[in-house]
Amino acid sequence: MSILTRTDGYGPTTARERRGVREHPMSRLVAFVVMGAFTLYFLVPIWWLFVASTKSRGQIASTAGLWFADWNLWENLGFVFTYDGGVYLRWLGNAVLYAGVGALLGTLLASMCGYALAKYAFRGRDALFNVILGGVLVPVTALALPLFLIFSAANLTNSYWSVFLPSLVSPFGVYLARIYAAASVPAELLEAARLDGSGEVRTFFTVSVRLMAPALVTIFLFQFVTIWNNFFLPLVMLSNDKLYPVTLGLYAWNSQTNAVPELRTAVVVGAFVAIVPLILAFLGLQRFWRGGLAAGGVKA
Amino acid sequence: MSTTTGSGRAAPTTREAASSGRRRSRHGGAITVFVVPFFLLFALFYLLPIGYAVFRSFRTVEREGTFGPATEVFGGLTQYEQVFASEAFWSSLGRVLAFGAVQVPVMLGLALLFALLIDSPLVKGKRFYRLAFFAPYAVPGVIAAIMWGFLYSPGLSPFTFVTGNVDLLGSGAVLWSIANVVTWVYAGYNMLIIYSALQAIPGEIYEAARIDGAGQLRIAWSVKIPLVVPALVLTGVFSIIGTLQLLTEPQVFRSFTTSISSTFTPNLVVYTTSTVPNFNLAAAFSVVLALLTFALSFVFLRLTNRRAFA
Amino acid sequence: MSRHTQVRAGAVAVALAGTAVLAGCSGAAEDGEGAAPEAAACAPSEGPVELTYTGWVPGMEDAIAMWNEANPDVQVTYNTGPSGNAGTYQDFFNQLEAGEAPDLGQIEYDTLPNFRVQDGLVNIAGCEGVMESGEQFVDWTWQQVTFGEQDAVYAIPQDTGPMAMFYRKDLFAKAGIDVPSTWDEYADAARTIREEGAYITHFPRTDVNWFAGLVWQDQGRWFANDGEAWTVDLTGPESTEVAEYWQGLIDEGLVKDTPGFSDEWNNELNTGELWTWVSAVWGSNSISSGAPDTSGKWAVAPMPQWEAGQNAAGNWGGSSVAVLKGSEHPYEAAQFALWLNTSEEALTALNKGGGLYPATTAGLELPALKEGLEFYGGQPIFDVFAEAAAATDPSFTWGPTMAQTYNDVADGFGTALGGSGTLLDALQAGEDATKETLTSQSIPVNE
Repeated sequence: MSILTRTDGYGPTTARERRGVREHPMSRLVAFVVMGAFTLYFLVPIWWLFVASTKSRGQIASTAGLWFADWNLWENLGFVFTYDGGVYLRWLGNAVLYAGVGALLGTLLASMCGYALAKYAFRGRDALFNVILGGVLVPVTALALPLFLIFSAANLTNSYWSVFLPSLVSPFGVYLARIYAAASVPAELLEAARLDGSGEVRTFFTVSVRLMAPALVTIFLFQFVTIWNNFFLPLVMLSNDKLYPVTLGLYAWNSQTNAVPELRTAVVVGAFVAIVPLILAFLGLQRFWRGGLAAGGVKA
Repeated sequence: MSTTTGSGRAAPTTREAASSGRRRSRHGGAITVFVVPFFLLFALFYLLPIGYAVFRSFRTVEREGTFGPATEVFGGLTQYEQVFASEAFWSSLGRVLAFGAVQVPVMLGLALLFALLIDSPLVKGKRFYRLAFFAPYAVPGVIAAIMWGFLYSPGLSPFTFVTGNVDLLGSGAVLWSIANVVTWVYAGYNMLIIYSALQAIPGEIYEAARIDGAGQLRIAWSVKIPLVVPALVLTGVFSIIGTLQLLTEPQVFRSFTTSISSTFTPNLVVYTTSTVPNFNLAAAFSVVLALLTFALSFVFLRLTNRRAFA
Repeated sequence: MSRHTQVRAGAVAVALAGTAVLAGCSGAAEDGEGAAPEAAACAPSEGPVELTYTGWVPGMEDAIAMWNEANPDVQVTYNTGPSGNAGTYQDFFNQLEAGEAPDLGQIEYDTLPNFRVQDGLVNIAGCEGVMESGEQFVDWTWQQVTFGEQDAVYAIPQDTGPMAMFYRKDLFAKAGIDVPSTWDEYADAARTIREEGAYITHFPRTDVNWFAGLVWQDQGRWFANDGEAWTVDLTGPESTEVAEYWQGLIDEGLVKDTPGFSDEWNNELNTGELWTWVSAVWGSNSISSGAPDTSGKWAVAPMPQWEAGQNAAGNWGGSSVAVLKGSEHPYEAAQFALWLNTSEEALTALNKGGGLYPATTAGLELPALKEGLEFYGGQPIFDVFAEAAAATDPSFTWGPTMAQTYNDVADGFGTALGGSGTLLDALQAGEDATKETLTSQSIPVNE
């Protein structure tokens, strides 16, 4: 059956925990100290960002960074969400659209391609796979102008499409989908589906997709984060700030702080607000994506 | 150990290839449906731009007078001559190589340590640690860099006992300050990949080690680590690529410190050149950078003798 | 973008392997539009016109709303981008290459030559009212947009950044230091202030245009162009004088090296660690918002002079509005740009919304620019800047790759602040790199 169940079978957590009782208390202490120290390392900057979001502009620099001064969060949020006609909310919406829909479709495309690479032998298969993987080697800075010219040829620069369409392509997603499809979709099952008279494409959507579900969630989340964080492509493509995703919007605000210093607070608060949905998404979906990660690691 | 993993995977692949090979003609339509949508977009948004960049890297401009119009002509290797003569480019490359030589092993070492600890019975509250360590990955690079920029600045940082004594943004330390930001963002992500690999190790293997009387440290060293080597190789390759393409963090840091030049990393060189605007030269830089990235990833895979991408 | 290019381009999108075709497209755009040095005839378009305009002035929408209401046939859409070198210029260059730049773009004076070299500007001298408007603008700005040529106008000046000295009146009085009127006195004051445990100012490595403003004040020239070739001279006697002066202050440890506009710098202003800032008129906002605790304690005096009794000023920043290549409605675009930058209603709106300091002489008399400011102890500070604007040498010329020049000089400044090399070395390195960049772009340079 699927990797997910197999993983569960392989992880005799309870047995390991039971054995744990016998571990030396000193080892436990060392482990605890290490993990505790690094928890601080990973969380303190985020905590700082949260605390800074609650302060007025002057207090960010003048009061202790890790604890609250006057509670100014609501005023700051009000400022962020109303500045320039509430454009920040629009940026958030755009980012959700680019990243959400883009990651959804991108996952579908990548998984179909990766699935075909894993399950069918055809001429040029390996070459194709290598070319796709080679795509991650090229610096984004080099692709900006050519991409712009392509979209301008189609009269699509400065549109949702110009950011949305390139975001659909995820070479890493293809890689993951291929590995995972090879591991989790047994050839016998496909053979059986064929005997039942099911078409290949139908089999993919009815049987294989279900078996690959954890990988699909993983690809989706990675793709989502990649699109959400990407500001270089929209920076090149978009001149209408109503179409910006939130990172580019924050970048633009950050570049204007010389002229409009009030925006400094907006950048801090806006940054905090922008990472909250991502953290929530990961929390909510975590039991799905862990299984998918295993595929990328083990089967590599 | 690695051979086990290798052959375990190779067997079904061969079988599939053989079985589906016989039916090649029958599934042609399905393959087209699966591959073409992705490949079309890939060709349009990767291959075509790359091809165009390569094309432009062989072009050069000619003009007359101070404000004369420019004409694009074939320039042969003119741009590449400039790339190889560019001191800034090669020293930026040296800089990121030094960066990668230290940061990648440290980050992956930490990721491995965390993964092993969370996987071991020594630690309670695995769920919490997993999430806490992974959370920075959700912070966009621009925002992470701005955040750490604040934390490093002597006048703003809450950690005055550090920033008061060491100039984290000075020319000597700033490269490693950036390394810290990258580590902060990606260590948890790499930890999860390695941890997931550990989770998939069959329990019987531990039982065998147990019977031999091996302790946790021993099990980690001689059983677990060899089994997660493929995961380490994978994360290693992606880290190398990421290192060579370092851009966001140094660019953001330029507003916090005077020690980062406009040619600090190879990608900054490309960016700076394209703002001149001298796209032909920027394209040549990119081509060379991409080739070097490829070469380095390839050498790394050869050295580790693993085919992470096969 | 012309229909012709569109058709070609459509074919490109289909031909996947067609990189050469794609190149053909951009090549055609360049050749077809060529350079037209003389002002083209500029006639009104028939029927309603829609203009696009990209810039980064906050509050610009208010002024545009006024125009759109009064001109139903010429509707302007405004896009806000990141500030110039942070992305908008790059966008313009890309859009010009694709033949779809906005009709109007905000371009700082120091970047105008760059756009002209890249053939991105429309000469609007032939458009009604443009040549006549010249006398309304502060001398040096008109010189910038005409490149000193007859029958050429490549942009309409929008705002300027005349420089003066902001200083902590309270701290100077308390320490018994006279307000310096020469650079020598400024250096003396710096030593006294250092003894008080503070710094007179910072040396901003990345604000090379600030440094250029100081050279400008000293009648220095970084670039010249005789029509045949460019002369690049970042190390002339005046530049050297300014560089050595600041090198002296750095060597004596009298100035901080905090980057300008950083939060740390704000903090230093706010806590009284920095006592002066020689800066542009728009700096008044930077201080009042960056150092809110110091309200009422600042004042403004003219820039210190190289010779006692002189009255010279430099300029730092300021933008123009240019009609970009490819615009189908240069006439309407020029009319809008004129209205935006000369009419009292627009200038008032831009001053109120974006803090712009007008480039017209009449604009300097706006009621808002005559008032005393509370933050500056009630001083009518803009009077000082109006005098500075008039005392700015008109013949300073910018080079065609300023972003690169700034970067290279800034890199050298960084090294100098780090203790190896000097500011003069940095200028020399910037000069060499600039010549190299020009050569690699086939732009002729005098050796």
